Amino acid sequence: MLWLCACAGLEYRERVARLRAVSRPAELLTESGEEEVGRLLARMEREEVFAVSLLDEDYPALLKNSPSPPLLLFGAGRRELLKARMFCIVGSRITPPWAEKLAKLTAERLSRRFAVVTGLAEGGDAAALEGALAGGSPVCVLPCGIDGCYPAAHASLKERVRRAGLLLTEYPFGTQSKKFHFIARNRILAGLAEGTLVVSAGKRSGALITANFALDGGRDVFAFPHNPGAAQGEGCNELIKKGAYLATGAEDIFAAYGMQEDVREEVPLTPAERRVLTVLKESGELHAAVIAERAEIPVYEAAATLASLELKNLVVKAGGNRYTAV
Amino acid sequence: MIAKIVCYCLNGLEGVPVEVETDVNKGIPAYDMVGLPDTAVKESKERVRSALKNSGMLFPMNKITINFAPADIRKEGAAFDLAVAVSLLKASEQLVGADLKDTVFLGELALNGDLRPVSGLLPILISAKGHGFSRFVIPAANAAEARYLGGAEIYPACTLTEVVRHVMGTERILPLETAEFVPHAEKKNSADLKFVKGQPLARRALEIAVAGGHNLLMVGPPGTGKTMLARCLPGIMPDLSFDEALEITKIHSVAGVLGEEGIVSERPFRTPHHTATTVSMCGGGNRVVHPGEISLAHGGVLFLDELPEYKRSTLEALRQPLEDGKITVSRAGGTVTFPARFMLCASMNPCPCGNYGSANLTCSCTPAEIRAYRKKVSGPLLDRIDLQVEVDNVSYDELVSTEKRETSSQVKERVDVARNIQRHRFSQSGISTNAEMGEREIAAFCALTEESEKILRAAFERMKLSARARGRIIKVARTIADLDGSEEILPKHVYEAVSYRIYDKMG
Repeated sequence: MLWLCACAGLEYRERVARLRAVSRPAELLTESGEEEVGRLLARMEREEVFAVSLLDEDYPALLKNSPSPPLLLFGAGRRELLKARMFCIVGSRITPPWAEKLAKLTAERLSRRFAVVTGLAEGGDAAALEGALAGGSPVCVLPCGIDGCYPAAHASLKERVRRAGLLLTEYPFGTQSKKFHFIARNRILAGLAEGTLVVSAGKRSGALITANFALDGGRDVFAFPHNPGAAQGEGCNELIKKGAYLATGAEDIFAAYGMQEDVREEVPLTPAERRVLTVLKESGELHAAVIAERAEIPVYEAAATLASLELKNLVVKAGGNRYTAV
Repeated sequence: MIAKIVCYCLNGLEGVPVEVETDVNKGIPAYDMVGLPDTAVKESKERVRSALKNSGMLFPMNKITINFAPADIRKEGAAFDLAVAVSLLKASEQLVGADLKDTVFLGELALNGDLRPVSGLLPILISAKGHGFSRFVIPAANAAEARYLGGAEIYPACTLTEVVRHVMGTERILPLETAEFVPHAEKKNSADLKFVKGQPLARRALEIAVAGGHNLLMVGPPGTGKTMLARCLPGIMPDLSFDEALEITKIHSVAGVLGEEGIVSERPFRTPHHTATTVSMCGGGNRVVHPGEISLAHGGVLFLDELPEYKRSTLEALRQPLEDGKITVSRAGGTVTFPARFMLCASMNPCPCGNYGSANLTCSCTPAEIRAYRKKVSGPLLDRIDLQVEVDNVSYDELVSTEKRETSSQVKERVDVARNIQRHRFSQSGISTNAEMGEREIAAFCALTEESEKILRAAFERMKLSARARGRIIKVARTIADLDGSEEILPKHVYEAVSYRIYDKMG
């Protein structure tokens, strides 16, 4: 693996060009000098970062079989997750609250059978990551060096992933994230996973790029259905029209892979909670005052009931005092 | 001959007695003032000279020395004019036989001898009464606020001539009759809840906030009636007691913002603009320390519209007064403590464009923009706001039923009941509302049932609450239980209290 370390510090494109130019990677070593390689290895050891190359035995098999696998992956965290079955969940940065909640729940439930792969961005990715963290085996692929973080506000999230799961990137230390890195990163996301779930995607969303990579690699694509006309869901609906699986939760994904999910335990509900939930399920997104009216209870009791349903993961706040059932 | 007349100056909300000593000597005509007078006091020389002349009295052409004792306090303002004039008249033997004992003279003179009102009169009168003075001569224009001080002879005068005739006994001024305090005599700056359309959740939050003395944050798109709702707050707060009214009046009098009726009979509602400086908010001043907006809002509501637009430092300065109910301002001129127990009501948009979470409009902000906007309000400040409620633009037609719109007085009745329960509960504790409870009171009065405790623990973990936020949820739950007339805090009360913390994000 040394031969690729030698390219550290070079721009991605330059590096690829140089790799193409040499017949044997070892030739690069003399060019960059052994001292630099030593420094890099020392830093990797100090920061507990490992590298896995295409030639290594634990390089993820699915990624190896994807159209353009990265030659080298830097990783931090639980290396054994490289061998796990992976499933990818992606979503655009502006994701409706119900889709975020559903993504989170789906990721958590999928974690029983898969390691959930996603990015670090706000919205759909972060929601899936939270779910995967709760499930126990999150995998996050970064568009920058392993020491970087984009968006910076998610630094603590990244740290949690490093502790509980696995961080991966093909970029060496100190690489800043550039626009094209995100697209290159998406190919890894799709390549690692057996299937990709798109929780939300506008017409031109990065999540769609990931889905396209998955299709190119012959993987399954799932998508949440959205209301017609909702800008944040146009991409998802388009995918479904073109033949992607329609998923409304982890059960659809398990079904597609012939897996049996453990039975979900029934959450005990009070009569008021059941009534509110029925009202909500009848008509999708509703304002708390309207819910109260239809369930024939005072508004403040409706607010209390909705809070308890929210704590039980059955209802999600959509902003502006509106709620949806999940 | 030497004459001594008592006058008062202000230090914060306290009146400090000042003796005006005048000595008229033979010698080259001169007119000197000593004893640390500031510019406005020194200028009284010319006002007094003209006022005496134009009132048909003599200005002595001798060597005049006026001393303000004690000499180490800086004397500010124009309230000394009358005392200087009277002492000059006495020293120049124009008031022979006048009865000046134990009389305090306050007032500013116009050149024609008229008396002009002074600010901060009520706190001066209260302090002076405490020091044993019982007779006061004050400008007639200040009579409105002085009427409420019982147990003293107060003579309102319009001109210097009237004062002279009064003390000479030739034409006595009728003493002021003590006025009866009528709380909420006239509601002029509060709106009524009956004019608020829809917003059942926000109405409820308002009621809880007032019932327990909690702080309130309203989040919602522009034009959804946040300001209107806030203006309803004073109208549903309990009536002022006379002592409260007097304390508020003192602050307003010192700041010179007292209205015509002379006493603050309605709970204050202050809306400082978001360009307000820290000093204007907390109090300060060059030499004399003036009360800031938070002290003017004492006993009432401080409404901060568009919270994130305020300067960070200004908002952070509110943290300590929010906890303590008072503010201590230190300036070169001295250190003053003003009361500042106010209810904070703030409003903000959910994002820079205002449409985040809106039902029919799309938000055009990026997540980073929204984060930056919300970060302008610091966590510690948000932590101190017990109730956070969303005000939405629900269309009126969406609510099919003929909704019964309550008036402010109906809501106020329930608030009064809840407040009574609290007064009874805290009769031994030295506090009066749920919001003021400390750890000790929470332990004593907010026993949770096992189920409630379990819910709270679940919410605590899910919402990643701070320890302070946990206490606040319990306090709000206590208030909701009080409104419900329930001795115990039941699970539904806890759930409702949890639902008012929208900004501690649900995980």
